[in-house]
Amino acid sequence: MASRLKFENSCEVGVFSRLTNAYCLVAAGGAENFVSVFEAELAGVIPVVRASIGGTRIVGRLCVGNKNGLLLPHTTTDQELQHLKNSLPDQVVVQRIDERLSALGNCIACNDHVALTNPDLTKETEELISDVLGVEVFRQTIAGNILVGSFCTFSNKGGLVHPRTSVEDLDELSTLLQVPLVAGTVNRGSEVIASGMAVNDWAAFCGSDTTATELSVVESVFRLRDGRPGALGADVRKSLVESCFV
Amino acid sequence: MSGGRKRPAPAPFAGFSPFARSLLFSPASGYCKLPLPNASAAADGPHQENAGMPPPPPKRAKQAEPSSDDEERHSSDADGASGSDSDSSLECSSSDGDDASQELETVQADFAFFDPKPSDFHGVRLLLKTYLDSKPWDLTGFVDLILEQTTVGTVVKMADDEEEEGEGNGGDKGDGGNDDDLFGLITVLNLGRYGENRCIKDLKEYLLAVCGNKDSEKKLKSLLEEKASSVGLLVCRRFVNFPYEMVPKLYDSLFDEVSWATEDEPTQELQDSFRFKQYLLVARILERKTNPKHNAKNNKDDDEEPVIYPKLEDEIFRELSSWSFTFPIRADQSAQQEMKNYKEMGLVMCVKAEAIPKFRKRLEALVSE
Repeated sequence: MASRLKFENSCEVGVFSRLTNAYCLVAAGGAENFVSVFEAELAGVIPVVRASIGGTRIVGRLCVGNKNGLLLPHTTTDQELQHLKNSLPDQVVVQRIDERLSALGNCIACNDHVALTNPDLTKETEELISDVLGVEVFRQTIAGNILVGSFCTFSNKGGLVHPRTSVEDLDELSTLLQVPLVAGTVNRGSEVIASGMAVNDWAAFCGSDTTATELSVVESVFRLRDGRPGALGADVRKSLVESCFV
Repeated sequence: MSGGRKRPAPAPFAGFSPFARSLLFSPASGYCKLPLPNASAAADGPHQENAGMPPPPPKRAKQAEPSSDDEERHSSDADGASGSDSDSSLECSSSDGDDASQELETVQADFAFFDPKPSDFHGVRLLLKTYLDSKPWDLTGFVDLILEQTTVGTVVKMADDEEEEGEGNGGDKGDGGNDDDLFGLITVLNLGRYGENRCIKDLKEYLLAVCGNKDSEKKLKSLLEEKASSVGLLVCRRFVNFPYEMVPKLYDSLFDEVSWATEDEPTQELQDSFRFKQYLLVARILERKTNPKHNAKNNKDDDEEPVIYPKLEDEIFRELSSWSFTFPIRADQSAQQEMKNYKEMGLVMCVKAEAIPKFRKRLEALVSE
């Protein structure tokens, strides 16, 4: 199910949180009502961890992860790294990487199987992504923009991309990612999809400015009406799925 | 500007928009000068005005951080050269000329004033994000309210954005001109007329809650309740590097629109809603923290200003106000080094409408110094 919330008057939920199928990171020090919405949906299923990265609250844009691992930028302090290692489940590999482009969340978009990356990332980073996150890495641009992590977001069930992505690009990406994709917006026309929302296989959180239309698109492309985690028809990755328009 | 008065150092020019980034990363690209918007005023509608005068001769550039490899400057179709020259010499004080080989690049930029439109939603929302404190309130509703009031209210954008959309009417809007960045906003909202809107109710509740002073609380309460229909909430927000030459024009355009509205609005009720007797302002200031450790070094403290006004006209407003109060801001304070002795505070002021002509004169004088 999709929920709408705000972080201190900002609708950029994806900036202050990082949601995956195995854990959820939220900005430390923010108001309690932000974290409580996450906890209401996720508590008991996956841990909701309050964290900061490099002393900042923009955890969603600085780190990237999936159920296999979490990648942190070089600005992460040792205490923060240790805190995350302690709080996350054991099977999640937490790794701090040395990449000049430190806003990993803006450069990399991934689910549990595939990752799209900024073409400017170094080879070592790509290899690390592939090792730690256990994904296949593709260098791509979205609607001519190199910040793939900002302008698209996808889970194992579906994805939402920048509204001005062409139909050919949409088809190509959908084939690469093996999930249905839709070009759309969140937060009342904001094109920065990933900053405006956080999503995993069974829950989505959008900014409170998201219109009902946008929310229904999110719910349908991410298949959120299907029920609780690990529910029916889980693995559709094997079957080739064409892009799906709602 | 008056000598000895310390203005907070201009913040480094952040690349917050595609336009700004193009300035930062392409020093060699001259921005081609557009024909004055006046020439195409007919196409753009009766209310579009630019900041009046013919463009001044190029000013000396304002240097950004030494690490960035070029200069950028804003010129505006504003006051005559004399005002801009003295201004630019002050603005250039941060340029130490530490890189002798650096050329002073001048980039021309034309700003223009427009009526608020629904497509300005994201820009206005960004400007108003820090209007009140971090406690959630109906900001979206507030932005919608401002955008609906097209007769009184002005937004400041780059001059060519509107032209692109006007020409591409009916067809697809140009990709580049889409994220039209708002640089500034000014408007005034009648608290009585909009009293039933949730955003205004949230605002009133918030102001009454943060008011610590019993005396001011009484006055505020009467302003917000009995006298609300003659009170205007004056909202002026802009980015920190907004050129000061345009500020008097911004206020002039607002007060002119208010006086036109008292005649042009369709109904008597609407006309009366713009006959404000008082203006309410919510602003931010920086107050020096009283640090007991510093008492020993008294002379050092005297060099620092007790209060810094990020928007200079707020100081004039405060002096002309009938009453005002400050309240602490709980949101994250900025970690700038020079500002570490200062605490960010909110400032609420009530200014009588009769004081406005005095304000306009003093603002004009301040900017032309």
